[in-house]
Amino acid sequence: MIITKAKPFDEILPFIEGRKNIFIVGCNVCAAKMKTGGEPEVIELADRLTESGYPVLGWAMPTAACSVRSFDHLAAKNEKIKDADCILVMGCGSGTSVVSSVTNVPVTGTNETVSLGGCLGLNPSEHLCIMCGECNIGDFSGICPNARCPKSQMNGPCGGSKNGKCEVSKDNDCVWYLIEKKMDEIHMIPTLQDIQMPKNHRV
Amino acid sequence: MAIKVIPKIISKNASHPGENMGSKSTFKDKLNSPQFLVTGEVSPPKGTDFLSAIENMKSIQGFVDAINVTDNQCATLHMSSLAFARLMIENGYSDPVMQLTCRDRNRIGLQADLLGAAALGIPNILVMSGDHPKCGDHPTAKPVYDLDSVQLLKTVNHLKKGYDFSGNSLSGAPEFCVGVVSNADPNERLQLMKLEKKLSFGVDFIQTQAVFDIDKFKEFVEKADTDVPIIAGIIPIRSAQMARYMDNNIPGISIPDEIHERIQSSDDAVAEGMAIAAELIEQLKPVCRGIHMMPVGAHTYTEKILKKARVLE
Repeated sequence: MIITKAKPFDEILPFIEGRKNIFIVGCNVCAAKMKTGGEPEVIELADRLTESGYPVLGWAMPTAACSVRSFDHLAAKNEKIKDADCILVMGCGSGTSVVSSVTNVPVTGTNETVSLGGCLGLNPSEHLCIMCGECNIGDFSGICPNARCPKSQMNGPCGGSKNGKCEVSKDNDCVWYLIEKKMDEIHMIPTLQDIQMPKNHRV
Repeated sequence: MAIKVIPKIISKNASHPGENMGSKSTFKDKLNSPQFLVTGEVSPPKGTDFLSAIENMKSIQGFVDAINVTDNQCATLHMSSLAFARLMIENGYSDPVMQLTCRDRNRIGLQADLLGAAALGIPNILVMSGDHPKCGDHPTAKPVYDLDSVQLLKTVNHLKKGYDFSGNSLSGAPEFCVGVVSNADPNERLQLMKLEKKLSFGVDFIQTQAVFDIDKFKEFVEKADTDVPIIAGIIPIRSAQMARYMDNNIPGISIPDEIHERIQSSDDAVAEGMAIAAELIEQLKPVCRGIHMMPVGAHTYTEKILKKARVLE
């Protein structure tokens, strides 16, 4: 799941200043789960913009903003999009990019895209994966140090780990502490002796 | 201030113009001797004016075996360790240890600086991950960490053998004396494992975080189980608050209650801190190969502490 956070309302306004037909596209998958782009949030933003004097033409809820097939696909949800002079996408950066690719008016997103994460119960977990394209998460039994260590330390904790906490924020567990705990439980600590090679960043 | 100009061609011999501890042998030679070693640490200036940093160097160069040059320590901007290490050489000190962190450069930048350092006659390097930018004065900077310290050591090893990270051959290979850092906590199993990985790349010395608990340090030395010389960090305590702050906040530092109590009940915390440092050094003599003095600020009391510890006459 893509973790998003809503931008402050005031940050959206410069983009739509002077526009006459604002159209909003939500996202019924990740952003809906994060409550940053589901139907209630889309309606709330439309109402707030209208109350603040910004003319909202309409809105549409594709299943996933990142999987919109075509402009017609969006128009089938709400044909008012044909008259839009700007589009706000309440999804992630990827969803905004896809909507932009099928439209020819200015497009922006209303969210910050934070990371690739997950949900444990109702609580979103951030930064679980950074999509490196060279997955070896099995070496750490499903806890990725590349994604979850702020220094991407692949061969063990840095010297900044204290009492199981990360030097960057004492609120965060050191990912190597989590790895050690899990690998200990499953009797796989010796696996961590393998020297991990640098990642391939070739595009 | 006399500023020496970098000569256009630097011969290999020009890299050791100074005399350290009255002997001509290098830090690397001394690591292979039975001598108990003392190293110090100097911060490059925050700015272009390097006079006081050179003065700090001069205050200890007569009695230490090597001097570390920090690399934007605490993720706080300073002049580069590469440039300042060269300035030290030009100002009469031949054995700087250039600290090199993985924080600010990718694999190309790190290798380029290593080749440059070797060509400029810098004989020693100390490799580390480096504090995260969030801890310093540029908290919005992009943290690079393209390589971690283990991977950087492997790369240094390649450079020394005459080829780069990608396997391309070099015209001239560096001959660094290479050090690594480690916390000295015997209970940190994965940090010990990481140290073992570092040592697999032909390392010349290990420099530890500040030591205050001799028993714990002995246990660390036992568990590290290596012939590579270990140099123990020493930070003289200057106040009860400083001791508490380090104990609670600095990773790898653990200060026994007895030391807290001594500082607390002393009328002169600085003098007591010096006495504690000297006692620690005496106790460390039979346990490891040397000590690394890292006072907070200038080396005002370093000489006194070393004399008190009977490392210097």
